[in-house]
Amino acid sequence: MDLEDDTTVLTTLKSFNSFISRPEHPQRLCPPLQLLEAAEKVHSINRYLQLDQEKKQMELSHKRARYELEKAASDSARDFEVDRNQELLGKIKKLEERETEAAKNLSDQMEENHALRKNMEGLSKKMEEQDSRLNTANQTIISLKDEIRELKQKIQNQDLTISAQALENQELQEQRDLQRRKYQDVSQLCQSLQAAQSSCSEHVIKIKELERRLAFQEQDISIMKTVKSEVARVPDLEKELKRLRDDNDFLRESRENCSLLKEEVEGLRKKLERMEKTKEELVNMELEKEKLQAWENLGQSTGLNIRKPEDLSREVIQIQQREIALKEQNYILNSRVRSVERSESELRTELSQQRNKTLEEQKKRETQDALVRRLQKRVLLLTKERDGMRAILESYDSELAPSEYSPQLSKRLREAEDILQKTQNHNAEMEVSSVNAPGHFCLSKVELELETLKQQQASTAESSSLVTKEEVNILREKIEDLEAERQRLEEQNNILEMRLERHNLQGDYDPVKTQVLHFKMNPTAVAKQQRRLCARCRMEEPRPIHKMTPACTSDVIKIKLLCFLQTSGCVADLRKQMESSELRNQRLKEVFQRKIQEFRTVCYVLTGYQIDVTTENQYRLTSVYAEHMNDSLLFKKGSSGSMQLMETEFSKTLGEMVALHLHHQKSIPAFLSAVTLDLFSRQTTV
Amino acid sequence: MTSTLKGITLKGSAELVAEFFSFGINSILYQRGIYPPETFTRVTHYDMSLQLTTDPKLKSYLTNVVSQLKEWLFECTVQKLVLVITCLETNEVLERWQFDIECDKSAKESSAPREKSIKTIQDEIRSVIRQITATVTFLPLLETPCAFDLLVYTDKDLVIPEKWEESGPQIINQSEEVRLRSFTTSIHKVNSMVAYKRTDSA
Repeated sequence: MDLEDDTTVLTTLKSFNSFISRPEHPQRLCPPLQLLEAAEKVHSINRYLQLDQEKKQMELSHKRARYELEKAASDSARDFEVDRNQELLGKIKKLEERETEAAKNLSDQMEENHALRKNMEGLSKKMEEQDSRLNTANQTIISLKDEIRELKQKIQNQDLTISAQALENQELQEQRDLQRRKYQDVSQLCQSLQAAQSSCSEHVIKIKELERRLAFQEQDISIMKTVKSEVARVPDLEKELKRLRDDNDFLRESRENCSLLKEEVEGLRKKLERMEKTKEELVNMELEKEKLQAWENLGQSTGLNIRKPEDLSREVIQIQQREIALKEQNYILNSRVRSVERSESELRTELSQQRNKTLEEQKKRETQDALVRRLQKRVLLLTKERDGMRAILESYDSELAPSEYSPQLSKRLREAEDILQKTQNHNAEMEVSSVNAPGHFCLSKVELELETLKQQQASTAESSSLVTKEEVNILREKIEDLEAERQRLEEQNNILEMRLERHNLQGDYDPVKTQVLHFKMNPTAVAKQQRRLCARCRMEEPRPIHKMTPACTSDVIKIKLLCFLQTSGCVADLRKQMESSELRNQRLKEVFQRKIQEFRTVCYVLTGYQIDVTTENQYRLTSVYAEHMNDSLLFKKGSSGSMQLMETEFSKTLGEMVALHLHHQKSIPAFLSAVTLDLFSRQTTV
Repeated sequence: MTSTLKGITLKGSAELVAEFFSFGINSILYQRGIYPPETFTRVTHYDMSLQLTTDPKLKSYLTNVVSQLKEWLFECTVQKLVLVITCLETNEVLERWQFDIECDKSAKESSAPREKSIKTIQDEIRSVIRQITATVTFLPLLETPCAFDLLVYTDKDLVIPEKWEESGPQIINQSEEVRLRSFTTSIHKVNSMVAYKRTDSA
């Protein structure tokens, strides 16, 4: 509305401006004559202008009117549109609500759909199961039909057999009837037979009885016959009996007589025996008597007091004892004689020995005497020497007395005595040697030596005391040196002996006298040979291994190379070989790693599963479309090479698929692709 | 045994000594573990239980050597018997068991038996073998695989038999020696000793 007002104002202003600007031009240019005309003109123009303005006003009003109209129209239209908009908005809201509802419905439907699908799957599974059951049932039906057929056939067969059997039965019945008839006949026959048999047996019994009777009768007959014959013999027997009785009486009498006679005979025999005994006794007595007479005679002849045999026996025993004693004495004497003889022989030998000894002793004694004489001479000489020495010493002492070197003197004295002792010892030795050595040559030699010694001694005694001292000192030193040397040599000897012993212990030997032998095929040689063989085997082994398994670990090669190094000397060559093999190993490792990575990515891209080895024989599969990082499947490789799904959090949610694809279909690839499809569909639908 | 209970002849002595070597070597091989202990069997001899090998190769080797040794003992030409234990890895001699044999060569001329009873000789031998067994306590352990050899020191003029050859004395470098007991049959006197390589730790 305001906008309308503004436009009108603007138009009026414009028209007013144009009006103002126009009239000024004619007023200035037009002369007064022409003013009228001009006035007229102006007037007309004015009028025209007025008209024009009116016209314009009219137009304006028209426009306004139109505008208003249009405005009204537009207003109305706008109102209408607003209303419509509101309506539409409401509609939209409704529609949105509906949409959401619809979406909800859709999701519900989806869920239902899922549920239905699952149901479908379940049903299909059931269907399959039922199908399988049906199939099995059909199979069983078929098998049962077959069985029925077989059974029918069997039944037919059995019917046939039954009919055949029935026929057989009839035949058998007929036969049975026949048999029965026969049996009856036979039984009748049997009865008759039995009757016959019974009659027969009766008859037999009768026959037997009759036979028995017959036998009895025969016996009776024989008895009768014998009785008859006996009866006939009776009178004869009676006669004989009488005779026999008579005989009996006679014999009895004779027997009694006989016994009487026997008794008499026995009595006589006893008497006879007694008589014989008495006779023998008589003879004995006579013999004894003779003996006794002999004894008496003996006693008289010998004059001993022998009256009885006991005395004699005593005498005899005494004599025997005496004899034994004498024998013993004899033995003892004999043994004594023998022992004496033995001792005599021993003594003789001893005597001879003793004689020899005495001879020896005598010889010894002679030698000893000679020795003693010599020694006495020597002793005399020595005493003289000693006296001389003493005299010399005394003279020295007297010389040295003023200086009072008594210890020195005594020392010198001792030294001189030592020398004396030595000389004496030497003498003794010489004597011994002279004793051993035959002849007087030695003796004279010794004596010569002795003399020389004496002379020496004399000379030494004569020489001045200083000289002797020096000499003694020199000698002593020499002796000491020699002693030291001796000790050193002894020690050396000991050391050398010990060394020799040690060498001996260690097994050293004198190659001049000894040789060392051993058996050629000894265990050490055998073992060394075996080791050499083994080493050669090992030397030959590594190369083919290099060729066969270039990927074998460098440690193994190292060990083998070490063995090889021990046996051969070409170290540098082997080192080079080792380095090259290690380099090769390194490169192979790199190539392997690259290839493995490539292979893994390809597997991942193609199958949609990333396969990782977690522990030995366990593989983790992670799908490309997994919703979470931890959603993975675990497979374990069994001992027989079969793969088994392990339970994870993710696999717990796939119970149906596991049941369907793994338990039922037993296909891991199918299961994996089903999982992939499921995950893929989930990702794309949401 | 040809010798009677009362005396002993040269032959009997040689047999006794050879028998001692056979048992002694077996004992050493068992005690030092040169051969596995399961290859040995227990026998009773000298009134004591001893180990004898059952390894057929070793048995034949020992019988060969001991029979030859018996001959030499009879001839009185043997001076020493040495059992050398060598390390197979380094070819180093680790132990030397030496048995010095002193033969009374006069027994060769006179065949009269000596007055010594076998029982006393066997008692002496028993104590030697006991000592061999006891040496295990101080001898160093043989850690590496080892083999043994038997050396026989004989007179120089002896003709080397077939299957035998000359050898070196196989002396141990830097050794410790221990004398063991000795025994005598009055014809042969056997002094035993063992030398072993000095170890750095000892």
